[in-house]
Amino acid sequence: MKKLITAVVSLGLIVGAASATDVDADRKAFVGHFKSIKPNVDFADYTNGVYAFDEGSREQFEEILDGIPPYEEALEKGGAEFEKFGLAKCDALKDPAAARLAHPYYDEKAGTVVTLEGTIQKCYNEQTGKKMGTMKGKIARISSWISDQAAGEKINVKVESEGAKAAYEEGKAFFYAKRGQFNMSCADCHVYNAGKKARADILSPALGHTTHVPMYRAKWAGLGTLHRRYGGCLKNMRAKPIKAQKEVYRNMEFYHQAMSNGLEITDARYRK
Amino acid sequence: MKKVLITALSVFALTAQADFLGSSHNWNDGSSDPFKAAITAAEAGYAANFKANMAWRDTEKMIKEAKKLNAAGKTAAAVALANKAHVQTVNATAQTALAKNAGPLF
Repeated sequence: MKKLITAVVSLGLIVGAASATDVDADRKAFVGHFKSIKPNVDFADYTNGVYAFDEGSREQFEEILDGIPPYEEALEKGGAEFEKFGLAKCDALKDPAAARLAHPYYDEKAGTVVTLEGTIQKCYNEQTGKKMGTMKGKIARISSWISDQAAGEKINVKVESEGAKAAYEEGKAFFYAKRGQFNMSCADCHVYNAGKKARADILSPALGHTTHVPMYRAKWAGLGTLHRRYGGCLKNMRAKPIKAQKEVYRNMEFYHQAMSNGLEITDARYRK
Repeated sequence: MKKVLITALSVFALTAQADFLGSSHNWNDGSSDPFKAAITAAEAGYAANFKANMAWRDTEKMIKEAKKLNAAGKTAAAVALANKAHVQTVNATAQTALAKNAGPLF
């Protein structure tokens, strides 16, 4: 009898562990939620973020893109910097479009999630012996230029190994955890209330967030990385921002990008 | 007589001990110091929240400000602010406990 109980409990634990992380099911539920709150918005249009929801904002967005987008010069500079610093000499970046598509990924040897910005920083350090920032300036320009090379390709984050699943689960928990004095999670604004107004701004949908990063924000008057935006959101919730490229942010990016699997990467990176 | 002698000796002993302490000695220093108790609790809570990546934005600033107020002799305001910071850390600790199992509602 004792053996039978042990066997049943063990089997339960094994089955439980194996079924604990189902990225595809998570993504389907995530996309399904957006379909339920915005039935008229096409899945592909989520690359346009809030502009998929609001006609007036979309017109402004399209007008900006029709002219010379304010980030055009920075992107050219990013391309020149990619060459200047010899970043193509690093295996992980020699094909920029492939590099964008390959990140973020779970590095089995290091046991951690690697982001595109993390790879750029590492390569820059190898080539120049110098350190690179994490949120704006050079890293945002170079990362934007690299992402532009993959415009039109679809995000396809793979979460396969046990280590990858654990990182994904940590990132997912961070995304849904309430924090700060306002006791709000990322999901409270960008999932449950996406499309609604917070003061004068329309809350953007988390679905598609990572298709246009790094982004140019009018508020910043410049380009910034996804982790810069994470920090800004936490600050708005009156939580203490975490340093960009720390493990918790990398894990959240892993989850965040995986939820946008199947959406096209876009070079239209202007946001309010 | 015996009682008088014991009383006199006790008074002498206490007076002598008091003389060894400088005039700047803070008789309130120790566990009975309300600021020290409040700020210690706030700092410990903040350190734990920070380690868990769950610290609130303004707690650290409040702790620093409370210390400044205390140094300026505004003890009541310093204690009130330190207690406010401590309450923030208690709330952040409660969030930390819930954060581990956070997930979507759909």
